[in-house]
Amino acid sequence: MGKAVGTVRHLHLTELSEEDAEPATVIAAAVEGDLAAFEALYRRFAPRIYGLCLRLTGQREAAEDCTQESFVAAWRGLGRFEKRARFSTWLQRIAIRTVLSRRRGLRASHEVAEPAAGLPDRPDPGGGPPALDLERAIAALPDGARDVLVLVGIYGYSHAEAAGALGVAEGTCKAQLHRARSLLSAALGPEES
Amino acid sequence: MKNGVPESLDEALETLPREIEPSRDLWSGIARAIVRTPRAAPGLGAGPWMAFAASAAALCLAAALLWTAIHGRAGAPGERLADEGAAAGRPAASFEEPQDARYLATRAALEKTFNERLARLDPATRAKIEADLAAIHQARDDIKKALIAQPDSTILQQLLASSLHDEFDLYDDVIRTTEPTLARI
Repeated sequence: MGKAVGTVRHLHLTELSEEDAEPATVIAAAVEGDLAAFEALYRRFAPRIYGLCLRLTGQREAAEDCTQESFVAAWRGLGRFEKRARFSTWLQRIAIRTVLSRRRGLRASHEVAEPAAGLPDRPDPGGGPPALDLERAIAALPDGARDVLVLVGIYGYSHAEAAGALGVAEGTCKAQLHRARSLLSAALGPEES
Repeated sequence: MKNGVPESLDEALETLPREIEPSRDLWSGIARAIVRTPRAAPGLGAGPWMAFAASAAALCLAAALLWTAIHGRAGAPGERLADEGAAAGRPAASFEEPQDARYLATRAALEKTFNERLARLDPATRAKIEADLAAIHQARDDIKKALIAQPDSTILQQLLASSLHDEFDLYDDVIRTTEPTLARI
């Protein structure tokens, strides 16, 4: 990866720059069963997957578990990976499924999460909602609203892509985003536009 | 955005990092899990097979002999490798399955017993176990392939040793679990 924390990368999944180019030969080697190649893919994509898991779970330990489970699931499913697809997109969908599965399990066992634990504490650039406040406000959102906000607002998914990944209707996705914005605005103060 | 200051919620969201480094390296856990749950075994490790394996009862003499042959003094092969490597301040020595006559004879006896017991199981369970064994062999081949590129990798050496444990655990589970049934025949 080698990308500094805080770098702004807001692209739709279909709008990719050169820096998003994927290591095709490494991916091919991993598909063939090369564990060293798969480790290289882990090094390349772990920060993206961990960041996504952390935002979706709001808890560091849960995010670490989900990241590990996602890569294990990816290794096991590599034989089904279609080379036409983007590896990072495929991996993110696995991570989203892992988080959703884990959440269902945690609900069953009544586990209580610690909102925002482990989220990056970045310096406030001088105005607007401080990043940590924003992170905490996102972590405190209801699950459905947070999922959509994270995927659409931070990771650049379209509504159709987010709806597909979360297994909800596109209309639900839009409604949840509206709800998330309203709740965030209320939590952070009036939004200036 | 004005002077680097977000003016709206959307802009504030865009300033959040998409990539966050985990506070610890998660790879070793992933690598261990990969060997424990090889890719060619979809659906295994849960359900009927787990219940099947959990009912183990009798001691398997062949497995015990094999265990002794491999481990010698004490400790698992991977643990010994790590310990010896750490003590010497260098990468762990290469792990290789023993090839002496006693070991090979014991291994052959274990495999023979395993295959006999396996043949008596119902086709669905047998298929799952065979797939599991194939997955373990595949994982070992994967690790050996990776070792060609990284011959000094301690974790790969440990994973290789681990794959051997998995194979013997599987033999042992099948032999143990089929003991009561055989006794009743």
